[in-house]
Amino acid sequence: MDFLQAIEDTAFSTFVRTSPTYFGFSGILLVHTIGMGVIVGVAAGIDLRILGFAPAIRLAPLEKYLPVLWFGFWMNAITGVILMMGYATTILVNPDFYVKMAFVALSLINLRMLKTHVFRDPLIESEKLSSKARFFAWMSMFLWLGVITTGRLLAYVGQSNSYK
Amino acid sequence: MLDTNLAHIHLLLNHFPTIGFGIGLVLFVVALAVNSNELKRASLIIFFLIAVIAIPTYLTGNAALDKVCPRVSGRIQCPPDVSLLLAQSHEDWALLAFAVMEITGFFAWIGLWQVRQRERFSSWNLTAVLLLSFVTFGLMAQAASKGGAIRHPEIQTAQEAEIAKPSPDPQAEEAKAEANIPIARTIGAYVVGKTWLWPACETLHFVGLSMILMVCLMVNLRLLGVAKSLSLPALYQLLPVGILGFGINLLTGIMFFLASPQQYIHNVEFHRKIIFVVLAGVNVLYFMLFDKAWAVKAGDDAPVSSKIVAAISIYLWVGVLYYGEMLPFLGNSF
Repeated sequence: MDFLQAIEDTAFSTFVRTSPTYFGFSGILLVHTIGMGVIVGVAAGIDLRILGFAPAIRLAPLEKYLPVLWFGFWMNAITGVILMMGYATTILVNPDFYVKMAFVALSLINLRMLKTHVFRDPLIESEKLSSKARFFAWMSMFLWLGVITTGRLLAYVGQSNSYK
Repeated sequence: MLDTNLAHIHLLLNHFPTIGFGIGLVLFVVALAVNSNELKRASLIIFFLIAVIAIPTYLTGNAALDKVCPRVSGRIQCPPDVSLLLAQSHEDWALLAFAVMEITGFFAWIGLWQVRQRERFSSWNLTAVLLLSFVTFGLMAQAASKGGAIRHPEIQTAQEAEIAKPSPDPQAEEAKAEANIPIARTIGAYVVGKTWLWPACETLHFVGLSMILMVCLMVNLRLLGVAKSLSLPALYQLLPVGILGFGINLLTGIMFFLASPQQYIHNVEFHRKIIFVVLAGVNVLYFMLFDKAWAVKAGDDAPVSSKIVAAISIYLWVGVLYYGEMLPFLGNSF
């Protein structure tokens, strides 16, 4: 707990909490939200196509959107760490935060599997995709939904909801 | 600056959902009678555009009431010549009309989307839009007539005149208005009363946001040069996801607004957000009307004009997100 308090008391963390500029809480949360939309938007777009929606879209070129997803991911990894430092004593003791991190980790593993079973599949342009591909597409949407839900709930569950 | 004029803006905008929608409906009926695809398309465009304009029209209504009948220590105080009961009845009809109008706009958009893909309208869609637009028109006429009666004694019905008549006992009058709870307040109280409902709406609002960004990014980034081996006619199939996402966010967003209108009507960030929503709606209309972007084949570079519109589209949706995110920080409430 002292350790968490020490993180929260650093000049940087104090700046994040109190600065009225865009470099403070509001701006960082804004970038975190845009990043969320980029990640989930691109991931779910690919998932829907795998599941048969918008069949005219060729599947293989969709891989070109993955760097966009990763751009959003790193945006959120960085802003997420900053938010965590600013509110260390509340976020890091909130069980919901660890559920969220588990969802993030599973989403990334799932994305890896999706890449192997869809984009590395030599039969990617064939009519029928493997049932594995469909499974990972469903999982992807479920897991990212989990990330969004647990992320939003961080403001409501746990000891304090000063973080909102 | 806008804050002082919102009542004015409500009075200006309210002509679009009433008169504008009526014109659209007449045009649509004529289009069906003479079976002209061009006229059908034109009326669907009017329906969609008016559904977009109906958003600020509805939202500014609360601001207009606040202007006419300001809150004095939490109680709504109307001048003697304005009946709060009439205003409440207007609000009830307006909410119903707004809800059905948005559904009409959604199906009108689906019709516009289908006609580009299949080069003909589907009869189920035209039937749905026709039925919905008649219901919208009826509800909107009621809302307009009730709204007009608030300030125009010359058009009041005998019943409305009875309600509007200055009461010899202002306190009894006030108690009556307080006992009459508009639908909007009932829904709002429900949202506030259920602890899980607000966070659930927020989560869904984020899901809708992701759906909008999915379409916005995948289509517009392709126009700007990402994943060039995709053809635009193929990406066109993705568009309904975006409009559905907008539907989710309109519904959940209205829940927040109904729960706490005072928090929004005086918040400049909220005004800006709604302006961006309307501009984004116009941007969507551009993509529905113009063929240039949708002619880009796999491997081709998009024309410069399409690239500019694509960049504007991303700017507008990120702008909507920006002002939404800044609501609790830059505005004067929350």
